[in-house]
Amino acid sequence: MRIGVFICHCGENIGRTVDCPSVASACANFSGVVHAEDYKYMCSDPGQNLIKQAIKEKNLDAVVVGSCSPHMHEKTFRKACSDAGINPFLVEMANLREHCSWIHDDVPSATRKAIDLVRMLVEKVKFNEPLIPIRVPVTKRALVIGGGISGIQASLDIANAGYEVVLVEKEPSIGGHMSQLSETFPTLDCSQCILTPRMVEVYQHPRIKLVSYSEVENVEGFIGNFSVTIRKKARSVKDELCTGCGLCVQKCPIKKVALSDFDEGLATRPAMYVPFPQAVPNIPVIDRSVCTYFKTGKCQLCKKVCGREAIDFEQQDQLIKEDVGAIIVATGYKLYTIDKKPDESMIKGYGEYGYGKFKDVVDGLQFERIASASGPTSGEMLRPSDKTTPKKIVFIQCVGSRDESKGFSYCSKICCMYTAKHAMLYKHKVHDGEAYVFYMDIRAGGKNYDEFVRRAIEEDGVKYIRGRVSKIYEENGKLIVKGEDTLAGVRVEIDADMVVLATAMIAQNDSVKLAQTLSVSYDKYGFFNESHPKLKPVETSTGGIFLAGACNAPRDIPDSVSMASAAAAKALVLFGSDVLEREPVVAKVNEATCAGCFYCQKVCAYNAIEQKEIKDRQGNVIKVVAYVNSGLCQGCGTCNATCPSKSVELLGFKDDQIYAQINSFAEVF
Amino acid sequence: MKQLIDISKELFESKQVGYIIGYAEDKFKRVKPFVAYSSLDTERFVFNNNSVNNLAVYLTRLPKAKEGKIGIVAKGCDIKSIIALIQENQIKRDDVIIIGVNCNSVVNQIDEQFSKENTAIKCKYCQVRTPAHYDYLVGEIKEVELPEDKNFAIMQKLDSMSAEEKWNFWEAEFEKCVKCYACRQVCPLCYCEQCIVDKSMPRWIDSSATTKGNFAWNMIRAFHLSGRCIGCNECERACPAEIPLSLLNRKMGMVAINEFNYRHGTDINQPTLIGNYNVNDKEDFIM
Amino acid sequence: MENEKFEPKIVAFVCNWCTYTGADLAGTSRLKQQTNARLIRVPCTGRIDPVFIIKAFEKGADGVLVSGCHPNDCHYNTGNFHARRRWIFFRQLLDFVGIDSSRLYFSWVSASEGKKWVDVVDGVINSVREKGPFNGYKKLNKEIEIPVK
Repeated sequence: MRIGVFICHCGENIGRTVDCPSVASACANFSGVVHAEDYKYMCSDPGQNLIKQAIKEKNLDAVVVGSCSPHMHEKTFRKACSDAGINPFLVEMANLREHCSWIHDDVPSATRKAIDLVRMLVEKVKFNEPLIPIRVPVTKRALVIGGGISGIQASLDIANAGYEVVLVEKEPSIGGHMSQLSETFPTLDCSQCILTPRMVEVYQHPRIKLVSYSEVENVEGFIGNFSVTIRKKARSVKDELCTGCGLCVQKCPIKKVALSDFDEGLATRPAMYVPFPQAVPNIPVIDRSVCTYFKTGKCQLCKKVCGREAIDFEQQDQLIKEDVGAIIVATGYKLYTIDKKPDESMIKGYGEYGYGKFKDVVDGLQFERIASASGPTSGEMLRPSDKTTPKKIVFIQCVGSRDESKGFSYCSKICCMYTAKHAMLYKHKVHDGEAYVFYMDIRAGGKNYDEFVRRAIEEDGVKYIRGRVSKIYEENGKLIVKGEDTLAGVRVEIDADMVVLATAMIAQNDSVKLAQTLSVSYDKYGFFNESHPKLKPVETSTGGIFLAGACNAPRDIPDSVSMASAAAAKALVLFGSDVLEREPVVAKVNEATCAGCFYCQKVCAYNAIEQKEIKDRQGNVIKVVAYVNSGLCQGCGTCNATCPSKSVELLGFKDDQIYAQINSFAEVF
Repeated sequence: MKQLIDISKELFESKQVGYIIGYAEDKFKRVKPFVAYSSLDTERFVFNNNSVNNLAVYLTRLPKAKEGKIGIVAKGCDIKSIIALIQENQIKRDDVIIIGVNCNSVVNQIDEQFSKENTAIKCKYCQVRTPAHYDYLVGEIKEVELPEDKNFAIMQKLDSMSAEEKWNFWEAEFEKCVKCYACRQVCPLCYCEQCIVDKSMPRWIDSSATTKGNFAWNMIRAFHLSGRCIGCNECERACPAEIPLSLLNRKMGMVAINEFNYRHGTDINQPTLIGNYNVNDKEDFIM
Repeated sequence: MENEKFEPKIVAFVCNWCTYTGADLAGTSRLKQQTNARLIRVPCTGRIDPVFIIKAFEKGADGVLVSGCHPNDCHYNTGNFHARRRWIFFRQLLDFVGIDSSRLYFSWVSASEGKKWVDVVDGVINSVREKGPFNGYKKLNKEIEIPVK
């Protein structure tokens, strides 16, 4: 091997404490080194030309540059050498600045150390192999999971940039939680009025394929090349024929058979239904668990009235395959339901608030429906039990949030704002009513947010009480709310007509299952993890999969929308090139020696290691070995260290390369 | 014995097994591993206090049966290594039929006469004299007298030594090592096709039997068995230089139990210790 | 050699993303430290095989330092967790054969902890210097008479 060593003075930065000429002359004596020189600024154009010239004149096939940190200029020198015909992975950098000259004063010992540092990399580079960047083609199509506001925004951004989007929504209609809201903070504009145009835009967009009432079943592949299997649940209605006239829904005789999910159980719906009038797509679904035909085999009234013959009782779940290059997860959140469905809940607390027992204790989303013009009360402020107007209403914040003993330790972030909004909506409709809010702190960070809360308190006269509620019980048709005012230091008792609990935002039921399907990581609450909390907030640990909205953490609408656009931008960056070039620092298996214990597979954080069958000519499996999918491998090398027989090695940091460094760290041995 | 032979015969006659690994006496009446390939062969099967060998080692060494599964006669401790092999993808549970034997402890070395003094130390703490996992179970449990744990005293002594004294202790032991690799060959969990010690690019472990290379070899072997060794102590039994190898494995086994409450080879479905992690793993030694 | 003042040789295996970058920061901040440590850069602490450490001692290191990202900060998510579990075994094994834990150090040093890196490196160098040379392997190396330059 013909190695060239180039020592940079970095002006005075290295040269002041490291005697660069003597480092260069010491290095010239290392075996394999055929050229060594020092120069004032190696990274400058003349410096780079020096390297290029030496490569050509001395016919070098590997280079070690002794200069600054590789984090600074590894790319620069690799590029320069590659221009001169050397594979960039045959270039190593010894860090003589950050790790030597800048941290030492004594010239002789710093110089000795510099020589050691260069020697270690000269020894390493002897074992470097030329590596070729991994090129994978990119399918310029995106999958968006979840059709709430985040998913809608991400889909529109990508589609408007000119790429196809497959939007999968598990409910019959897109819209998500935002479509349930009455008005939105801090402007009090009507949620549906700003959302439904977007929903329609999605539906009509030529590049968005909306797959509603469907769920992601399986994901294979890797960045740029995912193959997704989607389960299209049987609607019992042929969506290509249905015009959305709604006649079937009107005629369905099983009228008030089930509680409406959209109205959070405050209203009923028929067996044949669309979740809400503005639903997109406006195609009904038969709830087979309550439909008379499916229970008794009789009725078929819907089929009779449908002029388009769109009703299909025989319809089965369908599995459809989509190839995409990027995936955006926007599955949103759900509300902690306290004791309503205790078996599903991760935690069991707050039975003392009587949720599910007292009809007039409702959660935030139920209150949204009561306040909504499209809701069960047509927007009139009527309490669920007897449909009278509550004259006294109590809002309790942080139910389940910021409460490690009974709930979750995190802050649900949006409750301070929506509780203020709820109280204002109430006061705007019930002018003589009294509204009380129990709170721990007011967290109203955001543009115009604190002003909004102040308005609730100062203009609308909402009474804020700092303290917790200990118990709610019924007495003479009133809900007695017992709590404390910690600022005044007194106990408080309010005989309320209605209570609204700002329950915690939690991860969707099946979020962990989806995270495992996608092989992205999730936190202990079931929220999807971002790749880096500051610098990679929308990326996941798996390349090509991005996050948007409340599936990552509690988030309000503006944050969700900006995150969705960010995720869309990340997907578009990916689509900006036809092939993806990845650093070839990936693991590689020696199939001859692999014993198939698959400890490597266990430690791989990226599911990059698969099991591969080795067969003889007759097709009999001789053995099963590990196989690295270089599209997924991120190059950490944990498999390499774990493998007992060293049958998997990380290219660029192979055992012999590191061995060579250890072997040469000190002159003595 | 009749029970064992009857079951084995039945397994052959019903064509469930291709061969059965068990114990038989050689012409010197020594109990040795024996592979039965037919119903007739099984007549030679024996099981007694001299059935020392951990036969699980043959599961990865012998070629697969052409037809049928592999039958294996196994003590409770040996079954732990079978489970470990299943946990580590070396065999499938469905490919093996385990004839578990109630064990009344075994002798320390094959040719010795079984007695209380000659009982293997591993039997002292055995919790699986009646195996915890098997397809068939034969034999009867008898009252046994347990040996003294000589190694415990050595462990205690080692723990009280200074680093230099410990080094000197092991230097004297490892000096004896001739790198015959009997410890590896007899170990059911040393199933790698190419051991790290045989790897030459780079040669991590000096191949010649120098004390330095012996240190590296025995340390790496103990490390590779950390959280995996099931304590059959076959390595120590097989060692011609009589190096107390079980001490190293025992130390690592104690770490597995003390730090993680983990015992390898007790449950097929248990996630392995190495290969998994807990975010709360102890890190008081990390600055 | 006995007559010279003992200067310990320290080999440090550091991960590329946290500790190496933290050491870079120590440099950019001009935080002075002793010259005894030689860093070997690997992508992740998960890449650090215990045989590296044995080899470093064999080759004459008086102390070894292993450093990477703090838990939950690993660039590769879980590499340091797997590494930590290995270390729990490995350091007790070394201790058992007579390489005591005051020669093998572990630390989490993030990319922002330039100061901590200096404290760790100087701390290790000082305590190994106090401990004296690691003669175990030096003795064995002499035995097999590797020619000394």
